[in-house]
Amino acid sequence: MLEITSTPLVLIAILGTVGVILPIISIARKEKGSNSFYAVIAFAALIVSMGYVGYQFLNDNVAPSALFSDDVIVDDAFGGFFAIAMLIVALFTTVGSFNYMRKHNSPAVYYSLILLATIGMVLVAYSTDLVMLFVAWELMSIPTYVLVGFMKKNPSSNEAALKYFLFGALSSAIIVYGIAISYGLTGSTNIGDVIEGYSTLDPSLLPLALLSVGMFIAGFGFKMGLVPFHQWLPDTYEGAPSPVTALLAAATKKAGFAAAIRIIVLGMVALNLDWTLALGIIAVMTMTVGNIAAIMQKNLSRMLAYSSVAHAGYILIGLAVAPYSSLGLQGSLYQIFNHAIMKGAAFIAIAGIVTTLAVTHIDKLKGLGRRMPITALGMIISLFALAGVPPLSGFWSKLMLFGSALDASSALWWAPWLAIAGVLNSALSLAYYGWITRKMYFEGETEKRVSEPKSIVAVMIFSIIFLVGFGVYPEPLLKFVEFATPIVSLGLMP
Amino acid sequence: MATESIGLPFEASALSAWLVWILPFAAAMIMPGIGKISKRLTGYVAVGFALMSALSAASLLPMALEAHEIHDQVMWIEAIGLKAGVLADPISVIMANVVGWISFLIMIYSTGYMKGDKDITRFWFWMMFFIGSMQIIVLSDNLLQVFFGWEGVGLASYALISFWYRDKKKDHVGQEGKTVLGLLDYYAPTHAGMKAFIMTKIGDVMMIAGMLLIFLFAGTFGFRELVGDTDWAVAMNAQGLLIPAFVLLFGGAIGKSAQFPLNEWLLEAMTGPTAVSALIHAATMVKAGVFLVARIGPIVFALGAAGILADQFFEIVAWIGAITALLLATQGMVNPEIKKVLAYSTGSQIGYMMLAMGVAGLSHQYVDGYTAGFFHLISHAMFKASLFMAAGSLLHVVGSRFMTDMGGLRKQMKKTYAFMWAAGLGLMGAPFITTGFWSKDAVFAAVFESGSEWAMPLYAIAVLAAVITAFYTTRMIGLVFFGNKSKHIQKMEEEGHHIHEASISMWVPYGILAVLTIGIGLIGLSTEEGLHHLFEEYLEHSFGIHSEHAKIEGSSILPEFLQGLNPVALGSSLVAFSVGIGLGYIFYIGRWVDPVRFVNSNIFFYAIHKVILNRWYLNAMIYWCFVVAPLWLARGVFRYFEKTAIDYGMNDGFQKAVGWSAKVVQGTQTGVSQSYLFVFGAGLLFVVLILLM
Repeated sequence: MLEITSTPLVLIAILGTVGVILPIISIARKEKGSNSFYAVIAFAALIVSMGYVGYQFLNDNVAPSALFSDDVIVDDAFGGFFAIAMLIVALFTTVGSFNYMRKHNSPAVYYSLILLATIGMVLVAYSTDLVMLFVAWELMSIPTYVLVGFMKKNPSSNEAALKYFLFGALSSAIIVYGIAISYGLTGSTNIGDVIEGYSTLDPSLLPLALLSVGMFIAGFGFKMGLVPFHQWLPDTYEGAPSPVTALLAAATKKAGFAAAIRIIVLGMVALNLDWTLALGIIAVMTMTVGNIAAIMQKNLSRMLAYSSVAHAGYILIGLAVAPYSSLGLQGSLYQIFNHAIMKGAAFIAIAGIVTTLAVTHIDKLKGLGRRMPITALGMIISLFALAGVPPLSGFWSKLMLFGSALDASSALWWAPWLAIAGVLNSALSLAYYGWITRKMYFEGETEKRVSEPKSIVAVMIFSIIFLVGFGVYPEPLLKFVEFATPIVSLGLMP
Repeated sequence: MATESIGLPFEASALSAWLVWILPFAAAMIMPGIGKISKRLTGYVAVGFALMSALSAASLLPMALEAHEIHDQVMWIEAIGLKAGVLADPISVIMANVVGWISFLIMIYSTGYMKGDKDITRFWFWMMFFIGSMQIIVLSDNLLQVFFGWEGVGLASYALISFWYRDKKKDHVGQEGKTVLGLLDYYAPTHAGMKAFIMTKIGDVMMIAGMLLIFLFAGTFGFRELVGDTDWAVAMNAQGLLIPAFVLLFGGAIGKSAQFPLNEWLLEAMTGPTAVSALIHAATMVKAGVFLVARIGPIVFALGAAGILADQFFEIVAWIGAITALLLATQGMVNPEIKKVLAYSTGSQIGYMMLAMGVAGLSHQYVDGYTAGFFHLISHAMFKASLFMAAGSLLHVVGSRFMTDMGGLRKQMKKTYAFMWAAGLGLMGAPFITTGFWSKDAVFAAVFESGSEWAMPLYAIAVLAAVITAFYTTRMIGLVFFGNKSKHIQKMEEEGHHIHEASISMWVPYGILAVLTIGIGLIGLSTEEGLHHLFEEYLEHSFGIHSEHAKIEGSSILPEFLQGLNPVALGSSLVAFSVGIGLGYIFYIGRWVDPVRFVNSNIFFYAIHKVILNRWYLNAMIYWCFVVAPLWLARGVFRYFEKTAIDYGMNDGFQKAVGWSAKVVQGTQTGVSQSYLFVFGAGLLFVVLILLM
């Protein structure tokens, strides 16, 4: 049994309590509370949670990444790692919403939903049981459906929510299907037991096991934005309020990866089957389609949405080569953490631009470097980090990812091609990142500086420091990633 | 700092050795600031610093003439134990004085010559930068540091050759419209600067390759460290790398000293101001190659004690020198531009020095050739700098670089006339009274007595080149000062220009050098003997090269005051001088025979004249092979590959392909949920199929 002071339980307690209390306060005050009042409470709750996770890490109360557990959740470094990444993004979203949500009703509900979704995401990463994972998954998904459609009067927000919900429902159904099959085959929903069951499966039942894995790939792939399960993603990211998009792109996507690593990769290793090729093909497809679609986009949110698809492809490289290179999962985790900051910051920057200038079209960004210097700088640093330009933090994670692909080349003949595809795609992605840079800094002449929302500026400064700081001195982050990465190797049994 | 000072009263003079090259750099650094305050002041500052640098060099002389040395080092790059240092031994101190004092005189001359130039600050900057770099070459104790100076003088030379970068017609060299093998033989200053830079770079690349090869084995760049322990040389020789490495080093000298086959840049270098030609392209920088050979020659020769024979190296040096001496002397006979004649003469005379340095290593008496080469270097520096500055005065007065535009000037420019005769006699090697005679005679004697299998052909070439030298010098003086006034001068006088002597700041410097040429010439033999004695001691002390005193006293047929000279060499000198000046007198001073009619009189002379006038077609061939052909190739690649395959094919094609695929991908993004769901379903099927495969 987990102790009552274990990280996931405390997080549930803090975030859950505040999340439930917020609307109650709002009702008690007859909905008179201002946006920032609730925002500050949510912010405080997130900071406390963050502090607790950090406290647990610093006091060595966190077990090294346990792959499996008899319980439904486990308090390990893997979950803690994801918890920190997601809490940072949730903080970004909360802070970024200070200004963004000012003109909208029901702020209490808005922040409450963010907190609840955060619990869901965190729990996905901590889950070691399929049913628990599914419950957490839904806890994460349902609030985000509402958040995406939060602007009731805005048709594109509604369309975005509807599409998101349709696909969310479909993918949830598929995941349940996968769980059902695996339960049918092994008689257990505990991930460890399932994988053990799979590894001793009667060969005639293998296709069924594979079917369940396919279901998991499709179901989680929807959240991760893998091609061909990505089509809802640009529409949703574009239509949703930008801070919410940040939450979707930077955090819920990562929950998909957490689940995928827990189930798919470990299952893959246990089953000792060559299904890495499937992940490899999907990785290459994902990054290529994402980048090519992004290159001609005129809408900033949509462009970054596609870039986010492309990044799912990069991260998947690490998953695909995980059984053959110890760097694979490390690279993926590293990239996940970086991507959370980079994408989060980029979408919050968009939120800042939208609140201040009400534009998202790229041609309207002329001279942004003069109009909103800090936002523009934060944006550029994030974009360059996304492209993997040294010495930014994004460079090291990409280096490790592509390095892992080369590392695996002795076992997988096609692994180096993943690295080649990744490098070529990174180069391609610079085309549109460079395009934005050019618009912001090298076009337009007469723009005057406008006042930038302070909350946005805070997020920008944090991200710049993070990306440049860990770019120049990546050691601590690297250590953290190493600590959090589960060690897998072929033939590993629970 | 570790000072290994041997001289008694000279504890502090390590500092003056450093100052010799630091002072000019300091002047260069403050020059832009001074230029902001006052342009007039820049000249005084430059002359002042040049004087201080020269005085520092002079303060080292007493120590060096005792055959002592100062070797002072500081840590440079700690990680590989590299030290920077100064090595003030006899050859470097003498060279530093030659450089220091001649540059001081030329700086004075420049204050007159460059008066009113609006880029004067830039001129002084580069001149001081040059002197500093040159003194680094001279005083450094290791090859790497030499290389820094080497590149510094190259850079300064480039900047000063193209000093008049606006490429006005009067700053060009060559005859407008003249073509050789279909290529224009007419160069703008910027082109000339680039040509010089690129051609010398070929040598520099070889030099650094040689340096690093030696470093690879010896683990040091130091001149002194390379002597003594010879394990590195034995190891290199075992791999057959020793001689190639030194020949590569010599490649640097070939480039810098404009020796065959990298000689062609020196002619176009005459686009620079005449002061620059005098300092850099006659008196000092081009001697850097000879100096480098003087630095490494004894090291190579001393290896003979370890049983390593490096005759091939010295043979290459000697032959390159001899070929250059003859090749460039011939061209001096026909060129109509006064500065180009002097430039050809410079390359040719440096050929003599190389020849002497080369045969030194081929004989048993290393010090003979070594002294001859170095003595010729000193005397040549004096009279050639003087000749160049005098030529600059002529250019200044007449406003044309062609000797055919001068003529009959001996009345108007008496001082220049006299000094040019004095310095010119030095170049011709006028017997017994000029330094040029003694030093050239020493070269002849060294070649003649070397005992090498190549001694006779080399000797013949040297004597032939001496005849030609005397001839073209007489021709130059004859064309400029004798005969009738040219149309150009008549026209100038009609327009009211008064042809007069150059200003005092200009004629004094070349006057001093011309007088020195004769003055030292009068005591030339004892000077040479002193130098011989000094180098004997130096080579013995620093390299362990012993000399035999095998000269037989009293058995010579020569009169008393010429005792110790080789009678054959002396005879050849006298004959060469008389024949050369005689022929020159017939054609250009007495003007008994019209040279144009003489050349056209028969097809044989005509053909020779044409080949020589067209620079033996060497320059044109270099241009065809290394400029025209690569450019043609580059244009072809540009037109047929870059424009088509790269631009249309790759760039446009890639752009179109990306644009097209972006459209396709966007086309799938219909916005219709039904189609999304279909793709989702198909995707699921696809994944399961791959897994089941």
